[in-house]
Amino acid sequence: MTEQEILEAVQEIFRDNFDDDTLVITRDTCADDIEDWDSLEQINLLTAIEKKFSIKFKLADVRNLKDVGDLLDLVKRMAG
Amino acid sequence: MAYTYLITGATSDVGTALIRRLLTQDPAGERLVLAQGCGDVEKLAPLIQEFPGKIRPFDVDLSDPYKVDTFCQLVTRDNPAPTHFIHLPALPVVNAKFKNFDEVRFEKDWEIQLHSAVKLCKAVLPAMSKAKFGRVLFIQTSYTIGCPPKFTAAYVMNKSAIGGLVKSLAVEYARFGVTVNCVAPSMMETHFLQDTPELIVKAAAEENPMGRNATPDDVVPAMAFLLSEEARFITGVTLPVTGGSAIV
Repeated sequence: MTEQEILEAVQEIFRDNFDDDTLVITRDTCADDIEDWDSLEQINLLTAIEKKFSIKFKLADVRNLKDVGDLLDLVKRMAG
Repeated sequence: MAYTYLITGATSDVGTALIRRLLTQDPAGERLVLAQGCGDVEKLAPLIQEFPGKIRPFDVDLSDPYKVDTFCQLVTRDNPAPTHFIHLPALPVVNAKFKNFDEVRFEKDWEIQLHSAVKLCKAVLPAMSKAKFGRVLFIQTSYTIGCPPKFTAAYVMNKSAIGGLVKSLAVEYARFGVTVNCVAPSMMETHFLQDTPELIVKAAAEENPMGRNATPDDVVPAMAFLLSEEARFITGVTLPVTGGSAIV
């Protein structure tokens, strides 16, 4: 799976989660850019991503994610 | 004193741990447990073997009010009147945004948690009042203390209604020697969390001041205390069992 494909799938998850069909995310997007993105929303996003890519995050893996770029790299490593 | 414990949701991890504690601490062998489960009463088999004649299992779907009515009749007609009623059943928590609120599931949980509790209380409280002794105990959640976490509206609403029932019954039955209380555990690691993402469970453990989630072994002793004779002047309370994660 290419990074672009992962980004598109993750973007769909973000759009659904934040109820915003026009939301566009990039590698630099972070919690400061999306008003509702707090720790609980983050867990919701992560569990949706786990489901989508059939992967299982560890808390230690996701604790230090700074932005979408970090998230995409992690998904890429885990999903192969 | 001969006690009869009616325990609904008895097949849960908390239910079985509570039964074991109540029957282990009964040297005179005077305690009887009426234990309700739903499609899983085989989970009581080890306890029934361990305490022969002390547990009467009932397989009842509490989401069906008509079956609850029949259960109420069975309990009061064919068994010693319950001196203690412990109501534990609930559908597992689903972490969902309000836009995805599942009304059908909410109503089913309402039947299981609330409507059945009302029917069963109506069935058992008259005998408790007459005997001037009774203990009624519910299990709530620390989510009802202070600010609840997001995405748990269905669970928090039903558990809050349990809190309303507890307070209302407590004042109405205090004169009759009947206490009505609840325990409010923080996230407890049991089969009840089967639908909760592991990340949420682990994050809750990490955020807890004690660095872990609750277990039935943390909660059952608090329940046993509220059910005891010596807790006679405690009624209408919600006892947090949270490791400090929610403080009243």
